Amino acid sequence: MQLKERQAGDVRKRIARLSAGLLAASLAGHSKSAAAQYDSENNNFGPGIAYSQLDAALLVYQEAGGRVSATEPTLDLSVHGADGRQLSLGFVADAVSGATPNGAVPSNIPQNFLTPLRAKGSTATVTGASGGSTIIQLPPTPGQIAQAALGRQYTVPANTLPVDKGFRDHRGAFNFGWAQPLGGISEVGFGGSYSRESDYQAVTSNAHISQNLNSDNTTLSLSINGEFDSSFPFGGIPVPLSVMNAQWKSPTSRNKTQLGFVAGWTEVMSRWWLMQLNYAFDRQSGYQNDPYRVISVVDPGSGEPISSLYENRPLHRQGQSLFWDNKVDLNPAVTEFSFRYYTDSWNITSKTAEISEHVPLGNSFYVEPSGRWYQQSAASFFRYFLVGSQALPQYASSDMRLGAFTGLTYGAKIGYHINGRSEFYLKGEYYEQMGNRHPASAIGQLRQQDLFSGTNAAVIFAGYSWDFH
Amino acid sequence: MSEDEGPALRITKIGEDYHAAFAAMATPCEIRVQTADGALAERLGQLAQQEALRVEHKFSRYRSDSVVGRINASGKGGLLVDAETGDLLDFAQECHKTSDGLFDITSGVLRRAWHFDGSDRLPDPNRITSLMPLVGWRKVSWKRPHLRLLPGMEIDFGGLAKEYAVDLTLHRLMAVTTQPLLVNFGGDLRVSGPRSGGTPWHVAIESVQMPGTASGILQLSSGALATSGDARRFLLHDGIRYGHILDPRTGWSVKNPPSSVTVAAETCVEAGLTATLAMLQGADTEEFLKREIIRAWVIR
Repeated sequence: MQLKERQAGDVRKRIARLSAGLLAASLAGHSKSAAAQYDSENNNFGPGIAYSQLDAALLVYQEAGGRVSATEPTLDLSVHGADGRQLSLGFVADAVSGATPNGAVPSNIPQNFLTPLRAKGSTATVTGASGGSTIIQLPPTPGQIAQAALGRQYTVPANTLPVDKGFRDHRGAFNFGWAQPLGGISEVGFGGSYSRESDYQAVTSNAHISQNLNSDNTTLSLSINGEFDSSFPFGGIPVPLSVMNAQWKSPTSRNKTQLGFVAGWTEVMSRWWLMQLNYAFDRQSGYQNDPYRVISVVDPGSGEPISSLYENRPLHRQGQSLFWDNKVDLNPAVTEFSFRYYTDSWNITSKTAEISEHVPLGNSFYVEPSGRWYQQSAASFFRYFLVGSQALPQYASSDMRLGAFTGLTYGAKIGYHINGRSEFYLKGEYYEQMGNRHPASAIGQLRQQDLFSGTNAAVIFAGYSWDFH
Repeated sequence: MSEDEGPALRITKIGEDYHAAFAAMATPCEIRVQTADGALAERLGQLAQQEALRVEHKFSRYRSDSVVGRINASGKGGLLVDAETGDLLDFAQECHKTSDGLFDITSGVLRRAWHFDGSDRLPDPNRITSLMPLVGWRKVSWKRPHLRLLPGMEIDFGGLAKEYAVDLTLHRLMAVTTQPLLVNFGGDLRVSGPRSGGTPWHVAIESVQMPGTASGILQLSSGALATSGDARRFLLHDGIRYGHILDPRTGWSVKNPPSSVTVAAETCVEAGLTATLAMLQGADTEEFLKREIIRAWVIR
């Protein structure tokens, strides 16, 4: 076989030129791949390849002592174009039920709590397997309409943390995002989400811009986000610090807005180390109360609860955080560790340290043990309870999430690569919340009670992720 | 370091050089660096191994999760490929054109018919005829970044990937050190330049008759060397030697090719491709090399 007649050396010259061109292109693309290899463990298509990823997971959450349990199926789809365009869609549904602390302190005698029926004018019973409550006829009040003269009452035994067992809800949420390169800008994008429960609705939107510099070893990004929430609790919006009762209240809904931004810096420090630093700022304005939550007013001598008042929180909250994340590729294991510091205008400061280790076991399996330590100080208006003889403060809440506590989370994930494109994973986490069970301020019978209403919880996550073209 | 941390890397000091050796792409690989710094040699060895394994992982036709594996399994709709794969496909397309169809990355399916075991058993011509519809770059639809093969077709960067890895690896190592370097993946090699003092590297060409011994020593101060040919893989039928290189246009082995052709060129990709094309000329290899003014060593 012979090549067609050509000028002497033609083929050689042409091949030389092609070879040089190929290598020049590859080497130009090479520095990009160093950054891209950190993209995601699941992104095994390499940089710039068009693919889609489907992630279906089921989360089961159970709090200790039979409190809240939740089942949450999620479905996420992302479509990556070879030209850097990305579309992501996500769906979440969850069913939550169980008992949630209502905010009152335990007492040495049984306590009754009276709360509105779940629907205005409802005559259906709300006692059920988990209800433990009864519908009662309210004492007549002048000017009150007939149907509203019913209420729901539940009794909490002595020396027990008061919880409302009538807690049951469904939530559906949807989110989407779009990102693409634009002109000389590495990536611009926007997204949004909508989430709806029977008594709460949230709409969010965000936009971001990011620029790669320094041969793609540096990425600077800025994102702004806004959120609009509406709360329309069963029984309406209670008057802050008024006595808990079964009346339907007005208004029936209140809103909250939130506006924030995140400035980020990501740096490929070396082929083995990726570092990220984020600063976030956000400001919330509007209704921040938990409309079902009360705080006990106790007798200054005996410590016995006299009444329960609806809680009240400030209308504004402004927070800032600094987040430092590192991924270190100690081939073949990958270690990720991060620290976060947060502070806000409610006087809460928190610190988080987290570490996880991704260890491949052979070609198909990997394990990923992880641990997280969290510590926060209490909001300035956090109180375990209020004392009857003292003046009412302007703001008060006994929500443990606003109190001082330390949280520890231990987890492990096991993944199995079914093939190069799909993966099954199982993740388990145990969360432990620790705080002061016997604050020095306890009075009388409260000294014998466990006043810390934090919880321990277990989460199991089973998921399947599939990459496809 | 535990044993799980990947294939072994052996560091040896030989004379003025450190050698770092490992296995990748189904062949022994080594780098040589003229230095007294063992830690540098180990670092360079790790980088070289990383790059070789990356190229192997991405372009091996034996792995279902490689890009080539996915291309060959992609089906009727075809698929979109990344930029690096696109560059290789563009390159393969241009080489196909330049070589009038002699270089063809779709020719791998012919291996189903041919078994080069040193015997005289030629394949059944009907078998080759039945495979030919699956061979030919012109049957491939390649509109960057979208690639579509006909059902049953396969592509293979086997004749290119090793040389490509040598070139990329050398560039990566040269970004780390200015010491003189030689990168050798299974006999395809490239040097960063002369050794210190301006002396050339000495490279042995393996003897065909007695593998493991040298039939000649080449001196190399710059560029790359690549060898095509495998003395152990042939068929001998009616006095005609059928080498393992197949002509994608006929489906038949090239008749009476040399045992091996070693080509010197600026880059390893260029040297490897030129050696393959020379081999495909069969009996006319020498004539081709002479006409194209190619620096080469032919062993018959």
